[in-house]
Amino acid sequence: MKIRVRFFARFRELLGTEIMAEVNEGMSLPDLIKHIAQKNNEGYQAIFDEDGQFRDYVILMRNARRIDLADAAKHVVADGDDIAVFPPVAGG
Amino acid sequence: MGTTSQYSRRLRVDDGCIMIAIQNDDIDIGSLIQGAKNRSTGAIVVFDGIVRDDDICEMELEAYEEVALPELEKIAWEATEQFNLLHVDIVHRVGLLAVGENILVIVVGAGHREEAYRGSRFIIEAIKAGVPIWKKELTKNGGRWVPGEHGHGSGHYRDSS
Repeated sequence: MKIRVRFFARFRELLGTEIMAEVNEGMSLPDLIKHIAQKNNEGYQAIFDEDGQFRDYVILMRNARRIDLADAAKHVVADGDDIAVFPPVAGG
Repeated sequence: MGTTSQYSRRLRVDDGCIMIAIQNDDIDIGSLIQGAKNRSTGAIVVFDGIVRDDDICEMELEAYEEVALPELEKIAWEATEQFNLLHVDIVHRVGLLAVGENILVIVVGAGHREEAYRGSRFIIEAIKAGVPIWKKELTKNGGRWVPGEHGHGSGHYRDSS
């Protein structure tokens, strides 16, 4: 199944703007993002800590809805999902 | 509104009393003020966020536009209800901006100054707290992303549902 993962700001510079990932059924959201982030060590470390947990400033969205980091592991991605990963916002 | 070239990107929502836009082009503030007035308007407050020279060459702005636009609209409606506003325009720019250029213009119209000031303040603080837009300061030595004032992933953000 196909999942679209988008990164913004610093994460975009390190990991790319938009990745179309082809993944197997049953993959959790953190595992999907880890899988993609592993291609760039700096990008991985910007998002995950030494224990492989999301750093507390990371913001996740699934289909334009924010996901609490504490619940991220409960999310199993589905075909057609649109995932966004970004650092704290700084508009205005 | 300002001129819009065929190359510029622009997302826009406009229902007469609320107008939201994310765009490359500059903003004609005078025409926004003119458009914000109606016979019940007693006060208009304009917030203009500007690229400040913190020893930078330019500023680069980036938005998660499909999410930022509805979130800006939601903030405008919340402010309208909470402060009895008659008119709200929010125009946020994206792309490369030079020192002195407008980044964000908020035009708030109300019957009285109290509501207009409070509504304007509510809107700018809500934008800074949660709307997915980022700024990068470009300097002679490279660039640095402006750190957010809020925005942990653990729950300190606006509910976008």
